[in-house]
Amino acid sequence: MSSAIAVRMVGADFLKLRKKRGTLIWALALAVAPLVIYLIVKGIQHSSNPAQESPAGGAHGFEDMMPVLALFFGPLAAILIGTDAGAGDLAAGVFRDLVVTGRSRVALFASRVPAALGLCWLVMLVAYAVMVLGTYALASGTPTPGAALVVNGLLFTLFSTGILCVVAVGFASLTGSRPSALVALIGWQLVASRILENIESLGSSRKLILSQAVAHFSPIALGEHHGPRGGVTVTMSTATAVIVSLGWIAVFLALGAWRTRTMDA
Amino acid sequence: MDTSSTPAIETAGLIKRFGERAALDGIDLQVPRGCAFGFLGPNGAGKTTIIRTLLGLTPASAGTMHVLGYPVPAERSLALQRVGAIVEEPRFHMHLTGRENLRVVAAVRGPETAARIEPALARVGLADRAGEKVKSYSMGMRQRLGVARCLLADPLLLILDEPTNGLDPGGIQEFREMVRAMVEQEGRTVFVSSHLLDEVEKTCDAAAIVDRGKIVTQGAIADLAAGGTGARHELIVAVDDVERALTVLDASALVAETSPEEGSIRVVLSGDPQTAAQVNAALVQAGVGVTRLEPVRHSLEQRFLKITSRLDAHLVPEEVKA
Repeated sequence: MSSAIAVRMVGADFLKLRKKRGTLIWALALAVAPLVIYLIVKGIQHSSNPAQESPAGGAHGFEDMMPVLALFFGPLAAILIGTDAGAGDLAAGVFRDLVVTGRSRVALFASRVPAALGLCWLVMLVAYAVMVLGTYALASGTPTPGAALVVNGLLFTLFSTGILCVVAVGFASLTGSRPSALVALIGWQLVASRILENIESLGSSRKLILSQAVAHFSPIALGEHHGPRGGVTVTMSTATAVIVSLGWIAVFLALGAWRTRTMDA
Repeated sequence: MDTSSTPAIETAGLIKRFGERAALDGIDLQVPRGCAFGFLGPNGAGKTTIIRTLLGLTPASAGTMHVLGYPVPAERSLALQRVGAIVEEPRFHMHLTGRENLRVVAAVRGPETAARIEPALARVGLADRAGEKVKSYSMGMRQRLGVARCLLADPLLLILDEPTNGLDPGGIQEFREMVRAMVEQEGRTVFVSSHLLDEVEKTCDAAAIVDRGKIVTQGAIADLAAGGTGARHELIVAVDDVERALTVLDASALVAETSPEEGSIRVVLSGDPQTAAQVNAALVQAGVGVTRLEPVRHSLEQRFLKITSRLDAHLVPEEVKA
């Protein structure tokens, strides 16, 4: 298959996703709305009591908002987009029409991944722009984060959401059902991961939890309890974090590709 | 590799099992090129299963298949390059427009396909509505969009599974004309599966009848309707004196069988249809007034019901034995 066909196939998958208004609006709402709410509430609190309440923006606000976007709501938006990309053709009943073109099923699966990542990162860029805008506009004279931190924060956000998005594409392709993939992944991300992180008897095996590996790359210190996620932080080396992250991607991509290749269409 | 002289579809001993049940039980099918071929059978006979197997949507359990001369699944991608198919009902991304749905498939088929989108839409009469979302389309429009999607392949072979399901009489007529034009004017092969005998009889040149996963018979529509070669030729003869006519006919070597009906006699000829004139002459010479002499035209429907009812009675039809 030529690269021109691959690019067109990714473009077609991106078209399917970006035209799905419901998914796009919900993903944007999940990524942007919590930041806007934070900025508004903190802004009101600060303006009513400047001595006691820190401003919504500035370095402090940035450090508060970063985990909200990169580790909590951003991944949820990524799951929303990834599951749609992974199971959208099957849900619409169009998968068989793509198979009868004679194109390899693995190629059909593979084109979903960059398309989902493209839309996911577009949403994250919008959300991150809102966050940075709020950080600087509502700093009220307090110190603001440097350019390096802003860039690192963006890369971290793209990494943390991208990895969940890819896992979601693979998992939804594996299950063939968007609702069940959505429920399972959100349940894992919001409930199961947090419970497992807090079971200290699990020891170093908790390093295998994806959110722990991802959190390792955070450009801001998450502390023992990382903010709104409420989970504990398991210490691990960068090499371990890389291996765990790549392992999750590899396993779910392989499972999704295998299922797409072998299923009755 | 030149495959242009091979049949459009050829299967040998094709078997597809779902657990213990054989949905396809040794299918030997030959679909010649350049015709409309009907694949006729009652619901659950295995029509969709054979289509799904041919297209690689589900693997075969045993047997061999060739599509446009290419072995499937070994060279599936080559085989399907010039095949357009609608399996079961045509499905689309409802949130996309008709044109966008075609763009999605064109992207998968290859760069040369994009140029066929507008002609395909025009060919099925959807050019004006192609910018609307598919969720606003009627069933008939979706069927036509499905055909347009098939045309993106510039197909040598179109495989259409129950294509007139949900169409109104106007839509069915339009569809028939489209299929005939594709065959007669564009030289394509159209393989139509259907449980509607009338549709196959009016649209197709040849057909195979399938039941319970087996091909019961196949051939030209006229031959199938007549019961194949060596079929009986029957006449309805209306006469002024039934008793006398029966005496004459029963004594004639030209007649194999007679059965009186109201004011007329059903006559089974022992020879070819041309002997009807001699039967008429014999009656007239015997002083019997012949007011009507009409060959009985067997419909595919009668033949189909006969075959499938024989199967229902667990009797093995001659065709199956053969």
